[in-house]
Amino acid sequence: MNGTLRLALRLARRELRGGLRGFVVFIACLTLGVAAIAAAGSLNASVRAGLQAEARALLGGDAALRLTHRPATPGERGFLHRQAVVAETVEMRAMARAADSRPILVELKGVDATYPLAGRVELRPEMPLAAALQQKDGVWGAAADANLLTRLGLQLGQRVSVGDLQVELRATIVREPDRPASLFSLGPRLLVHRDALPATGLIQPGSLIRYVYLLDLHEGTQPEAFKQTLAQRFPEAGWQLRFPDDAAPGVRRFVDNMNLFLTLVGLTALLIGGVGVANAVRAFVDGRTATIAMLKCLGAPSRLVLAVYALQVGLIAALGILLGVLLGAALPAAVVAVLGDSLPFRPRVGFYPLPLSLAAVFGALVALAFGLWPLSRAAAIPPAALFRDAVYRAGGGPRRTAATLAAVAALALAAMIVATADKRLLAATFVIGSVVAFGLFRGMAGLLAQGAQWLSRHRPDGSSASVRLGLARLHRPGAATGSVVLSLGLGLTVLVAIALVEANLHRDLAERLPEEAPAFFFIDIQRDQAEAFDRALAAVPGVGDVQRAATIRGRITRLNGVPVEQATIAPEAEWAVRGDRGLTVAASPPEGTRIVAGGWWPADHSGPPLVSLDAGIAHGFGLGLGDTMSVNVLGREITATIASLREIDWSTMSMNFVIVLSPGALAGAPHTYIATVRAAPAAEDAVERAVTDALPNVSSIRVRQALDSVKGMLTAVGVAVRLAGSVTVMAGALVLAGAIAAGRRNRLYEAVVLKAVGATRSDLVRAYLVEYGLLGVATGTLAGIVGSVIAWAVLRFVMHADWTPLPAVTAATVAACALAVLVLGYVGTWRVLGAAVAPYLRDE
Amino acid sequence: MVLFEDVHLKLASLAGEVNILRGVDLSVAVGESVGIVGPSGSGKSTMMMVMAGLERPTSGRIRVGGQDITSLSEDRLALFRRDTVGIVFQAFHLVPTMTALENVAVPMELAGQPGAFARARELLGSVGLGRRVDHYPSQLSGGEQQRVAIARAFAARPRLLLADEPTGNLDGATGRAIIDLIFALGAAHDATLLLITHDPSLATRCDRTVRLEDGRVVGTAAAEGGSKVPLGAS
Repeated sequence: MNGTLRLALRLARRELRGGLRGFVVFIACLTLGVAAIAAAGSLNASVRAGLQAEARALLGGDAALRLTHRPATPGERGFLHRQAVVAETVEMRAMARAADSRPILVELKGVDATYPLAGRVELRPEMPLAAALQQKDGVWGAAADANLLTRLGLQLGQRVSVGDLQVELRATIVREPDRPASLFSLGPRLLVHRDALPATGLIQPGSLIRYVYLLDLHEGTQPEAFKQTLAQRFPEAGWQLRFPDDAAPGVRRFVDNMNLFLTLVGLTALLIGGVGVANAVRAFVDGRTATIAMLKCLGAPSRLVLAVYALQVGLIAALGILLGVLLGAALPAAVVAVLGDSLPFRPRVGFYPLPLSLAAVFGALVALAFGLWPLSRAAAIPPAALFRDAVYRAGGGPRRTAATLAAVAALALAAMIVATADKRLLAATFVIGSVVAFGLFRGMAGLLAQGAQWLSRHRPDGSSASVRLGLARLHRPGAATGSVVLSLGLGLTVLVAIALVEANLHRDLAERLPEEAPAFFFIDIQRDQAEAFDRALAAVPGVGDVQRAATIRGRITRLNGVPVEQATIAPEAEWAVRGDRGLTVAASPPEGTRIVAGGWWPADHSGPPLVSLDAGIAHGFGLGLGDTMSVNVLGREITATIASLREIDWSTMSMNFVIVLSPGALAGAPHTYIATVRAAPAAEDAVERAVTDALPNVSSIRVRQALDSVKGMLTAVGVAVRLAGSVTVMAGALVLAGAIAAGRRNRLYEAVVLKAVGATRSDLVRAYLVEYGLLGVATGTLAGIVGSVIAWAVLRFVMHADWTPLPAVTAATVAACALAVLVLGYVGTWRVLGAAVAPYLRDE
Repeated sequence: MVLFEDVHLKLASLAGEVNILRGVDLSVAVGESVGIVGPSGSGKSTMMMVMAGLERPTSGRIRVGGQDITSLSEDRLALFRRDTVGIVFQAFHLVPTMTALENVAVPMELAGQPGAFARARELLGSVGLGRRVDHYPSQLSGGEQQRVAIARAFAARPRLLLADEPTGNLDGATGRAIIDLIFALGAAHDATLLLITHDPSLATRCDRTVRLEDGRVVGTAAAEGGSKVPLGAS
């Protein structure tokens, strides 16, 4: 065997002297897919490393405790101060006002002198935080995001009012180490001293205020032990405790989702590239038929022949994979350079062997799964092919062993895709979806070829020869119909799906929501302000529907008595236990309620607490009627029995509560009111002014503005997503280009012969138009349909968003595909058209 | 039918310009059959290429069927071939991805003739391939491929049939059968026939033999003895 291998190596080396011509597409297909996967994995590793390195700063300390509505009790504070150095901060939303401009919602944060425990607040002009915030001549200082100054038309040194307090703006914030890492916020940050907050008059019972205690644990205190002691000492505190490994959960979830998306896009590109690999290997073996037959004539056994060609293909595949890995390793640096400071931390760009190796293994498995089959035909070429090679082509098939090995490689690929994904169900769906899509496009290619054959047979006598020639090219032996429909179709499907998902989300944000959603959310309306609020609105013309509900925040702590940390919760319901939720109490079903299970309690219910729960969340929690759920409100745990389940349409952005409790359940709790107001766009300024002038403590959230902010974020993410998604179409185009290049010799010869028997250039052009036009339209149409189905499924089941078929988006994508195929095909055959006839006929 | 007047053809090569045709004069009457003979490199095939409009002469005039083809554009030349000329090549030059039937039908389809496939089937039957119409060239023997090529050449009822070493790739018996076929079909279609061959015995079956050497016509001879200019004369 060693002797055979040595000989095979020697022969392979001699054959490779001819260079890598004909393998460019093969290498490019593998490089593109591997690079996409390697880049996604490396980028993810860089981001995770960056998160880990700055986790303490992002969290604000070794641990962070968060309470809603209430500060820690003296007992709790005492305990915390014994265990750690504590920085006490307070966060809330409030309206900031300057003399003449309209009030602006700000994210107000009060900090003490110990803050920050980790990292540094960078200000412009540079100054210590304490200096910026301290009280000077009886006036507290403040630091703010630069855009607050712009929006209020203020300069540093001028004053801004928050509630009853006036603060002097002394600096703008360049960097806030523990700024909640989210892609958008409702308003700019306003940083003040914690001691200045009482003077705002906004610290009211029931107001949505978060008290955050950042902890620098004393040496020797273990986080886990601290957590347990805390739970034992204060079982009913209802606080949320976080450690640095969960410092920026929002960013981590976003990055994980992006990584999953990019990896799946990379895998799709790689699978499409697999078609190019198979084509290239087939063309390679066909091109070597004479050499192989000759080697066999000279006594080379099939095994040696197979080894010679497997070595060459393997070597070239390794080169493609290596290039992909190198490109993938280098890309994250470029991405991070472009992203710049838009992330709240610096990703640690570096060399991460694990994701790179994973990408290489994916590449190798794809090369095996797609390359083995056509490669094995080398062993099946008979020596007689030296004399009649064309006949062999019609009959030669792959070997059973190779087919089995290819199947094993495909299975291993599928297993690896699932095994290495965080979301296995999604990965498994991707694998099954890929198999179905492959089958679908393959079947479509078969149908197209058969249809073309039927048409060319049943066309009316005397109809255009060009049409028949074009049709015939779709079904003739060696036609590239199958691989082009498959590869380009798959690539385009991904792009159509992305375009439709994005267009639907945009449509929601730009058209549907502004029409259906209320114009304002008003929060922190005190109990004694309800009437004043209604009066203020009544005086403004253009105000539509006003909904008001009592609310208080609470955290879900137990499901059927099991602490939520230990309960099994479906991923789509996890958001409900991540932080605190707004609770409300209602004697009768709120307007528009759709009860899907159980019934509403009597209006005068006075028994043990009952709860009406969102049906989707109940399903995710694994709870049904009669089960119990406990919520912690202001340190008091309320356990309620589920009496009914409601179906809530979250997409309207109307006032909805996951949890509605029976009357009396929150007795004595200092609730406030939340209100939604519908108003004509022209009346919005007047509405806001009327409410916030009358009730300075009430915060207004402008929905249109928030939607614009989301839209901006979506546009930025959308561009990145579409760019990434276009990798799949690039892979498809590569396969198409490869197929055109591989068929160029045949086309040239065909064109020459046809010209010799009287075909004009326009005859040939028309034939190409028919061929590529049909190919493009058929591929684009199927991709449009499959892409729409995928987009519908993603919107409906993953994003729980509305789906509207957008034929214009689909049609534009399909038309672009048909045009691209035509252009690529035409460019590929342009030289064929102009070819002089005589040299080719003479050379033959 | 064919008139060559002082036709020259120079081609560029790595070694410089090569004079392939050096002033060929030739006249072929309608319905006449002419054998073109000469050693390798004498310019026989090139003369045929030029006659079919597949190659442009450097100078001189060529009229075929009364039409001056030297001034025609490439596409006009294609139409000229489609309507006037049938060609049989030594290497057959069938389109490998088309069946025998499709190969034969193509010129008629290009000419927009109705019943192209019926006539192609009929022609293939007349060359003895009635049962192999759906075979691809790779599934046919050399002799069979050449018969398909002959059927294709006669498909559009050409007035001029050009055959360039039609038996060059075939064994003796098959070659004879092919030549018989060409002459029989030529007669049946009243076509003018130019047969290029290096085999003098084949050429003698034509009405007249023209000898080419070094790009010049060096002699012509009537088939039945009476040479107008003795063959081999310079």
